[in-house]
Amino acid sequence: MAAREDAGTRRRWGRRHPTMTIGGVLLGLVVVASLFAPAITSYDPIKPSFSQRLSPPWGLGGTRAHVLGTDNLGRDILARLLYGGRVSLALAVAAVAIAGVVGVVVGLAASWGGGKADAVIMRVADVQLAFPVIMLAIAIVAVVGTSPITLVGVLALSGWVLYARTIRAHVLTIRGLDYIDAAAMLGASDIRIILRHVLPNTVAPILVIGSSQFATMVLLESGLSFLGLGIQAPLPSWGSMLAEGRDYLSNAWWLATAPGLMIALVVLGANLLGDGLRDLLDPTLRNVEG
Amino acid sequence: MREQHPRPDHIGRRDFLAVSGAALALAGAPSLAAGQAKRSGEIAAGLSERMLTLDPANHYSISTTSVLRHLFDPLIDVTNDSKFVPALAETWRPVNNTTWRFTLRKGVTFHDGTPFNADSVVFTLRRVQSNSKLIKSFVYQDIESVEKDGDYGVIVTSKRPFGSLPAHLTMLGMLPPGAGKNEEAFFQKPIGTGPFRFASWTHGDQIAMTANPTYWKPGIPKVEKVTFRFIPELSTRTAALRAGELQVIDRVTPDLVETLKGTRGVKVLDVPAIEAQRWIFQLGREPVKDPRLRQAISLAIDRGVIIKELLRGYGRPVDSPVPPGLIGHMSLPPKVYDPEKARQILKQAGYSNVSVDIVLMKDFYPKQLEITQAVAAMLGDVGIKLNIKNLEIASAREQRTAGTYDLFFSGWAHMPHDPDWYFGQWFTKAGSEKLTRYTNPKVEQLIAEGRVPDPKVRQAKYEELERIVWDEDAEIWLYYTVAIYGVSDRLRNFEARRDYYVLLSDVSIV
Amino acid sequence: MKTYILRRVAQSALTLLGVSVLVFVILRVLPGDPARMLLPDGAPESAVAELNRQLGLREPVIVQYGLFLRSVAHGDFGQSFQYRAPALRVVLERLPATVQLTVAAMLVTIAAGVSLGIFTAVRRGTRYDVAGTILAVLGQSLPNFWLGIMLILLFGVALRWLPTSGFAGWTSLVLPAVTLAAFPTALVARLTRSSMLEILNRDFIRTGRAKGLAERSVVLRHALRNAAIPVLTVIGLQIGALLGGAVITESVFAWPGMGKLIVDAIFFRDFPVVQTVLILSATVFVGINLLVDLLYTIIDPRIRYS
Repeated sequence: MAAREDAGTRRRWGRRHPTMTIGGVLLGLVVVASLFAPAITSYDPIKPSFSQRLSPPWGLGGTRAHVLGTDNLGRDILARLLYGGRVSLALAVAAVAIAGVVGVVVGLAASWGGGKADAVIMRVADVQLAFPVIMLAIAIVAVVGTSPITLVGVLALSGWVLYARTIRAHVLTIRGLDYIDAAAMLGASDIRIILRHVLPNTVAPILVIGSSQFATMVLLESGLSFLGLGIQAPLPSWGSMLAEGRDYLSNAWWLATAPGLMIALVVLGANLLGDGLRDLLDPTLRNVEG
Repeated sequence: MREQHPRPDHIGRRDFLAVSGAALALAGAPSLAAGQAKRSGEIAAGLSERMLTLDPANHYSISTTSVLRHLFDPLIDVTNDSKFVPALAETWRPVNNTTWRFTLRKGVTFHDGTPFNADSVVFTLRRVQSNSKLIKSFVYQDIESVEKDGDYGVIVTSKRPFGSLPAHLTMLGMLPPGAGKNEEAFFQKPIGTGPFRFASWTHGDQIAMTANPTYWKPGIPKVEKVTFRFIPELSTRTAALRAGELQVIDRVTPDLVETLKGTRGVKVLDVPAIEAQRWIFQLGREPVKDPRLRQAISLAIDRGVIIKELLRGYGRPVDSPVPPGLIGHMSLPPKVYDPEKARQILKQAGYSNVSVDIVLMKDFYPKQLEITQAVAAMLGDVGIKLNIKNLEIASAREQRTAGTYDLFFSGWAHMPHDPDWYFGQWFTKAGSEKLTRYTNPKVEQLIAEGRVPDPKVRQAKYEELERIVWDEDAEIWLYYTVAIYGVSDRLRNFEARRDYYVLLSDVSIV
Repeated sequence: MKTYILRRVAQSALTLLGVSVLVFVILRVLPGDPARMLLPDGAPESAVAELNRQLGLREPVIVQYGLFLRSVAHGDFGQSFQYRAPALRVVLERLPATVQLTVAAMLVTIAAGVSLGIFTAVRRGTRYDVAGTILAVLGQSLPNFWLGIMLILLFGVALRWLPTSGFAGWTSLVLPAVTLAAFPTALVARLTRSSMLEILNRDFIRTGRAKGLAERSVVLRHALRNAAIPVLTVIGLQIGALLGGAVITESVFAWPGMGKLIVDAIFFRDFPVVQTVLILSATVFVGINLLVDLLYTIIDPRIRYS
């Protein structure tokens, strides 16, 4: 009897949080598929096959042998999507994580510390923001060279400021609230106030920003690949696939559309997951559903 | 619902009908002189390379040369089969190995009415030779003096033999001497003797020109207005052609040929170009310093598959470092595809698991990344690992200068239809010291001897040196390119040129 | 209040100076040199060295910077290496196109983004919300160039309703503006939605509802005003993104704007143009953010800088 009750609770939980579940499932599917790429496809994502160039997807003029078609070197697109997913997802996750941590820490330090620290940090942020990301990327890569680590660094560099500024704005709002002053007067230390009162209130925007940023990172990776600053050929990444498909949009649109839709799927999943998480974590919002 | 914005063809057709109608109505009245232009219509062309300057002496871009040809005339023109024909110069003769004598065409005026004569030539040549801030200046450093020989003659002497001078002069438009007074102002509204007059231009975006009614060639130009738009993005350029906004585009890739052929109102013209795609080696560096490795690399590459599959046949096998039609071209034994032999050579030379880096300049040559990946697979089959470094142009060139590369994806369009520059740059010690580090005194001597004006001597010298560099696999010559143009059916008399020029002065539109 | 404004202005000026120094130094630290980019592959080394000297690049960096500051004070930003024309003129030529595109994209972003955000927030949990979210996700995740070229193929080639590219009349603005606005619109929509949702549950909103105020009034007046802060943050940041990040859109549509100009200039190591564009756009960017910060204080008096 207990077991049946548990199963029922789990099902209802899933139904009560549809957005998060759908998002999680979508993301999970993509991640799992990428991880298990060799089991799903037997094609080599790197080896060219000249006679198979530019085959359309199955159902649009192509054969079942290549479900999503082949690219300009005859390589199976599904295989490249899956293997490329490993690269793109890993890069995006690492970049978002680093940008988030750095951004939140810096934002908190700036807004809580106030005064000089705040001024200096915000100036640095302003100066960096005044530079187009692309120029920073070109400069960094030109000096340091292309490598996945450089790429993650550049991506993270492009993202931390949004966290910092939003956190800062929130903190400055919250800081004036009575219960914060009350806690301080009662002798709570700064750190304690930050951790118990301030930080939990910033989780929601962080999650939303984070899920948005995930998409940005994947797309930024594609932008950097255009400029030759991303993952080097012949290794696939969604970004480099987009770049290579750019010149074929008029006659072989599936080259760029496949990675584009994949990115869209991942972004959708990330956003739904982020929304769902926010709903879950922010108690004030739970009542709206009920 | 179709045309909601004004389309040039309506204007053109109306003008054309109006003119023809008027001509018919005037039948019996004194007819227009034979060959007199019935100019009508406008042509818009889309080029892939941005034009940066209106100064013929301050750039070395094929595309810019092609555009400026409409505003300025050079002394000599070159036809599509590489024959040199008179333009502003009627004759040119080598007086001796270091002296050229030009006689000039009479009765030519600049767009502002001032006459063209030897003063213009002297000014133009002296300027490009002496002003080292001009990009073309280095080409003319061998010139020692430029002197008038009467009002319509010029004598040019050089420090050493300069047999390719006439060829280079096909790319240098003649300027009025008045340009020297205020160059910056002049080049905002330049004046030349060309078939079109300057109308307007936005830096790097587009340039518009209107017909020159007093052009010295009868019947030229055939249209009233010409606009060149610079659209590096391939898909956009082709879309504009297909939508009827442009009438001609250059640098079409082989993969788009079918799409264009399938578009109504559009056709595709192609011609083998005078350009060779090649990979160069850092000859001062291990392991590619070793000619056996270079030979193995060459044997491992299936050039036929590249041409047939990747280029869809829009490429030609290379039989000489110099493309057909140019002086110096010959028929050398073709570079075969023999992976088995490659493996043998590698084994005998003791190479196992050798790895080499190739540097590419991002987006510089069409399909370069594709071809490189294909070759990487081919080299992998014989045991050579090719690491691809696709870098932004400045970084790539920096690495080339510093010598930190093994292979470099390069190309050479043999402008100006003469190989002297090619050999002088890549196969002399001084020329290649920051490039391929090639040194071979015998070759260097032959290059120097090939500078004389006598074409027979030049051919002999070039053939001898080519045999040497071909044998030592100094470079990997992949294929000759094919120039592909997308052209509207409304154009008449457009010629697909081997040197990638898009010339519209004798093209008409219906 | 006045001291606050003065302080912010001083900070902005410092930021600009910092930008100028950073640009200057970064450019000269980058590998590759301008003369080699301008001259063809076939130019001898002596020509490269000579051209570098002519361009003033052989002096020590400090000297170059000093000369640069002095000429900027006279309004002279140097001569573009590529175009051999005053850099300021080359950049300003691109200004109308850039401004048009930025303004158009900004208008689309604000109108479509905020509306979509409010719509999905108010209809939260329904299928409209889901549809709106999917639309936003697509806007955020479809690559710029893919969207642009597809729009060109559809509206320019197949239907011939709009020009395929170029800067000529307002019809040519439509496709590039929509393409450029897709990403920021999605971002603004999502952020508006989440801000609105948060606000819609604050106590004072419930009080307003309890008092019987019309739902519409509640939403528009109170919720929107408070949700404005993070949205303004993002809009401020997006302007910087629009100015500098419109490169791909400008490339696809052959739109003669500053985004493409600066990336080309970076690749060609055209220092004067890069310096001019960055300093000018930094000025605009800093100015707008100054404005946004001042708006913060008007909207939410609680925000003060200690």
